[in-house]
Amino acid sequence: MKGANRRKPPVVGITALVPPELIYGAGWYPTDVNNWIPGSDARPRSKLCAWTASWREAILKGELGLDALVVVAGGDCHNALADGQAAARKVPRTHFFFYPFDGDTGYLKGQLEALEEFLGEGRMAEGAHRRRALEKVAAAKALGLRLDRARSDGKADPERAFKLLISFSDLEGDPVAFERKVRSVLAGPRLRATEDRPRVALIGVPPIYRDFHNVCAEAGLQVVFDELPYEFLRLGGNDIDSLARSYSTYTFARPVEYRLGFLERELRTRKVDGVIHYAQFTCHHLLEDGMLRERLNRPMLTVQGDLPGETPAQIRLRLEAFGELLSGTKGAV
Amino acid sequence: MATSRLVEAREWPSLLKLVKKGEPVCTTGYFRRKVPHDLSLTEISAARLGVAHFYPDAEVILDLGGQDTKVIDLRNLTLQMNDKCSAGTGAFLEQAARYFGVTVGGLALMAEKARDRVDVNSTCSVFAQSEMISALEKGAGRNEVAAGLHHALARRIAELVPEAERIIAIGGVARNRSMLFALSAILDRKLLVPPEPQTVNALGAAIHAAAHSSQS
Repeated sequence: MKGANRRKPPVVGITALVPPELIYGAGWYPTDVNNWIPGSDARPRSKLCAWTASWREAILKGELGLDALVVVAGGDCHNALADGQAAARKVPRTHFFFYPFDGDTGYLKGQLEALEEFLGEGRMAEGAHRRRALEKVAAAKALGLRLDRARSDGKADPERAFKLLISFSDLEGDPVAFERKVRSVLAGPRLRATEDRPRVALIGVPPIYRDFHNVCAEAGLQVVFDELPYEFLRLGGNDIDSLARSYSTYTFARPVEYRLGFLERELRTRKVDGVIHYAQFTCHHLLEDGMLRERLNRPMLTVQGDLPGETPAQIRLRLEAFGELLSGTKGAV
Repeated sequence: MATSRLVEAREWPSLLKLVKKGEPVCTTGYFRRKVPHDLSLTEISAARLGVAHFYPDAEVILDLGGQDTKVIDLRNLTLQMNDKCSAGTGAFLEQAARYFGVTVGGLALMAEKARDRVDVNSTCSVFAQSEMISALEKGAGRNEVAAGLHHALARRIAELVPEAERIIAIGGVARNRSMLFALSAILDRKLLVPPEPQTVNALGAAIHAAAHSSQS
């Protein structure tokens, strides 16, 4: 692959977190099939969850230009298993990836090896390419952690930061260009820290509304933690063994008790005043709401989203009310 | 706060005529930004202030509105709302009342007269109406169906209510004795209802405005 003759790498769609290190290392471009949805007005038919139904429909219409699809079918999202099988009919090749519920690194290593094989072992054998790819992803993630910290400290625009942080699942198909983007936000004008605002954590699946973080800001809430994007950032590795060790701690795929312990630590570290639990309409994660409320011991607002677009009025109202409630506790009202 | 007047939603301009020059106007509710105001707060905060006026030791506020149902747990500041469908709101009863050709108050009176209750299992208000029609076709009494509808709504609302001793019911639906009866039975708890529960949020907004005036 040299100069003008260089072919564009094949594109693999991922339905949830799949180690981008491994995908780039194998010479593929990952594209998270969820990330286009909030910016769209997708109205999928026969849906339970609008996230999975939207990418399923887009794939069936051939709109995402995928050469292959990796469906995260074990751990994380349960609807993906069904919608992934439906979508698989229109993709040249599909692989089903399973995270271990019990965090067994040996099992995950086997899954990663199977994924490598699916993506083509030959490419992985190119050691130099693989090393460079891993370095690029690691460099971008290190910068992402800086952005996450800046946002937590109120020194980066939450909406802009979120849009980048959520894209760490695929690094927008180009780790180098993506790293530049992150760097430009970090180098941009620093916001003044707003210590009087209630500090909130956004846990659960990412909101399907494109302006959600702006609406939070308008409601006087400072989002200092986005659960899922932080998972994308904090996990990594430079070989199969270290990737297996790291990604076996992916909290969304583990028992809720494991996730709760992780969340408790993060909320404490980030001095979180309140929690927004976002769940998608019909999402099984909504069933965890009671356990989250019981254990996290902070004011909590549960928001249930449905179709993509702008944040609907009822949800805005909830966020504003939550802002007022928390501001009251901080003595700002 | 001595003067108050209840008007229909579209007649809000007439309320502004009550305001003396220099007095702040505080708005609350879904349309709060449409009405000229000096101060504005969500109905959730307004409910907290209004309820505290009557019950300073309230634990949970149950705001039973026509468009949504809000449950505010004052002990840990958690908020739950039901609005994904009309099954947990006053609109559910409005729809049923229209079918029977009575007012919502009339529907409540029918339920009060019931000797028994028809089970309505659907949580969807449209399907519940199908169940209601089917029960009537099978010979169930109108009053018994009305009682079943109140119970179905109460069951749906009760799912949102946490365990608490002092639960305060406000909002228009809190005036409905059949609803309170059904809710109390399901929750196994007597609900506390302030006078004119549908105006408690407006009172809360007035308290907020008064507090703001005294500060400035």
